[in-house]
Amino acid sequence: MASYVLKRFTGMIVVLFVVATIVFVIVRIAPGDPAAVMLGPDATPSDIAALRDRLGLNQPLLVQFGVYLGQILTGDLGDSIFLNMPVLTALGQRAEPTFFLTLFSILIATVIALPIGILSAYHRGSLFDQASTTLAMFAASVPSFWLALILIQVFAVRLGWFPVAGYGGPDTTLLERLHHLVLPAVTLGVVSSALILRFTRASMLDVLDDDYIRTARSKGMAETPVILKHAFKNALIPILTVIGITAALLISGAIVTETVFGLPGVGNLVVSAVMRRDYPVIQGALLVVAALYVLINFAIDMLYLVIDPRVRF
Amino acid sequence: MLKTLARSCLAATMAFGGLAASSMAVMAQDKPGGIITVATIGEPNTLDPMAATGDLLGMVTQHFLETLYTFDKEWNVTPLLAADMPEISDDGKIVTIVLREGIKFHNGKTMTSDDVVASLERWLKIASRGQLVADKVEKVEAVDINTVKISLSAPFGPLPALLAFNNSAAVILPKETLAEPLTEFIGTGPFMLKERRPDQYIQLVSFPDYKPLNGDADGFGGRREALLEEVRFVPVPDANTRVEGAVAGQYDFAELLPVESYDRLTGQTEPMLTESFGWPMFIMNTKQGVMTDQDMRKAVQSLQNSDDLMLAAFGEERFFKVDGAMYPEGYVWRNEAGVEAYNQGDVEQAESLAEKAGYDGEPIRILTSRQYEFHYKMAQVLDAYLKSAGLKSQLDVVDWATLVQRRADPALWDIFITHSPFLPDPALIAPLPASYPGWWSTPEKEKLLTALNTETDLEKRQAIWSDIQGLIYEQAPFYKVGDFAALAAKSPKVEGFEASPWPYFWNVSIKQ
Repeated sequence: MASYVLKRFTGMIVVLFVVATIVFVIVRIAPGDPAAVMLGPDATPSDIAALRDRLGLNQPLLVQFGVYLGQILTGDLGDSIFLNMPVLTALGQRAEPTFFLTLFSILIATVIALPIGILSAYHRGSLFDQASTTLAMFAASVPSFWLALILIQVFAVRLGWFPVAGYGGPDTTLLERLHHLVLPAVTLGVVSSALILRFTRASMLDVLDDDYIRTARSKGMAETPVILKHAFKNALIPILTVIGITAALLISGAIVTETVFGLPGVGNLVVSAVMRRDYPVIQGALLVVAALYVLINFAIDMLYLVIDPRVRF
Repeated sequence: MLKTLARSCLAATMAFGGLAASSMAVMAQDKPGGIITVATIGEPNTLDPMAATGDLLGMVTQHFLETLYTFDKEWNVTPLLAADMPEISDDGKIVTIVLREGIKFHNGKTMTSDDVVASLERWLKIASRGQLVADKVEKVEAVDINTVKISLSAPFGPLPALLAFNNSAAVILPKETLAEPLTEFIGTGPFMLKERRPDQYIQLVSFPDYKPLNGDADGFGGRREALLEEVRFVPVPDANTRVEGAVAGQYDFAELLPVESYDRLTGQTEPMLTESFGWPMFIMNTKQGVMTDQDMRKAVQSLQNSDDLMLAAFGEERFFKVDGAMYPEGYVWRNEAGVEAYNQGDVEQAESLAEKAGYDGEPIRILTSRQYEFHYKMAQVLDAYLKSAGLKSQLDVVDWATLVQRRADPALWDIFITHSPFLPDPALIAPLPASYPGWWSTPEKEKLLTALNTETDLEKRQAIWSDIQGLIYEQAPFYKVGDFAALAAKSPKVEGFEASPWPYFWNVSIKQ
């Protein structure tokens, strides 16, 4: 077990180094100059050159890469060119909305997908099963921005139950800020539920035909514990994997929803940084997201041990 | 006796209480009230108006950072932190500015000439508009605690306008806060910066020690009062979200909305149209490539049908005007020189001019972006026009950061599309200096531009500007497409707001 953890940790370092290198190279290959963007359309070439000097962008690439790696090793992701703050601070400010949006979206997706997926598998071929398949297809096909706009129209503009956008002002409480996340979380939750629903159904179908299920029934056990205690528990591993991957993707992948709802999340930060060529933020944010992705996957693997004692690493 | 004393005490108490209550009532009336939420198109790249340009930056920072001068509603330069218009010596080389006294910075310090000198020196060094005049400035010095003198090597007519402009602005900051980069944003404005959370809000609160000018408000000039307790700028990059937020009443003001949303702005909001908000232009590359030939540029100019272009870009006639003069009605700089070459839509003339230029079929590269959708729509129409005259064209659509980089390289484009607000002084028009992409530089133009920049008499400058406009149509370094309006949404609860290219919220109140 200890050697497994060590192996995973080493692998994580390698993955992060590769990500850091690829991101560093790609942002510098891509056209666009952060100094020109920063100074605006009326800047002269000499203004731009002077700012590039100040930002260290005229140094040889190897030097810039060396500085960048050195900073990472000391836990410093650099300073944002545009936000006038350390990258870690910028990420820290976005941690709360991103964390809660991801959490609520996953909860909503799971609450929708798990019961429907289980019942769908149990009643395979029935009208319910066909309806849930249609629902899953709808959820997978609907563009998130379209759903977002519909929810805004109905629940924010017409009914006034929720704000249209934003994450509150200087004097809003945590509860009020979370209130801002309801519509975006429903949007992401519905869209994310499709994959979880299909995996739940497929995984349950695999398990429901197994011998131990037949044995449990023949021993006179009631259907509910057969399904939930035996079948579902054994079907959980692939379902957990999908939930974990979905959560990891939501951390930085909710950009369309964040844009429509004006949420200051990590996705929004990364896209703004890309548009402006804010190299330190792009590099730092993607590194942190990659690290979170690897950690989430590791956590899922550890959860396997809890769910299924047969799993050994 | 005791009763009398008691009655007297009671009466005194009641009188005092009444006086206190009425004083509190008066104070309550005088105390700023209400919070206004303004939805903007995005987050400014910085809060330092010297370090960058951009309308959003100027709009936000003008509330807490002020300049020596500003503009009245006729776009004349008018004093703001200066006590009066600058005194210019007969030879135009010495500019003396007397400051208003008793002006407080937000940190309690009183503004002096030392702060002004240090701020102007920084502006000359790092601001792109400061650098337009920097090579002519020999010295900026404090004459006394309230007087500043600028010594020039040559007269420079646009200097007052540059000192008044809120873009690449010569804002006055406390000397001890000037750092690179700026980390404290302490100014003299009617509002002060309380907090900025990027991509969430910029919170400004009223400044209790603000000293307004006497008299009435007059455009950006005159009396400024913080009638609001707070102004919150909230970045909302998605245009539709700004619209819905305004309709739902979440935003008291939402800027730069798509014109097609005009009819949706009802309920808790109402539309505000600012006519003649700005003008799009096609800039031609006079330095390298197919557009270096004047006949080719005039061929492209003669092809343009601005009715089509503006309709494609803005959808309905109420949102634009087809007008060839570089300034709309109401501006002192308006003239009609050269406009017969505007909006010709003459394919035959274009073909003939292209043949005269010896056009060899080289593709004309149009550089544009979808950052501003109307740029892209006009680019598509331009592309079609060029093809209709038998000219090969190539549409290069890139993101804004790439466009800004590419347009600095004359090898990479032939025409790029941009736009501008109507600037208070023609010397500020971006493509006029030879350093701006497009690189228009001919002996005639340089002579006229030098004359415009060195002349200080308004009437003479107007005449020179008229000659420059005529030259623009004669040499075709860029083509003005038309005038467009800007649509914003405002809550009916907001009172005292006056439309302008850079919306401001002093002298504005909100019904509770």
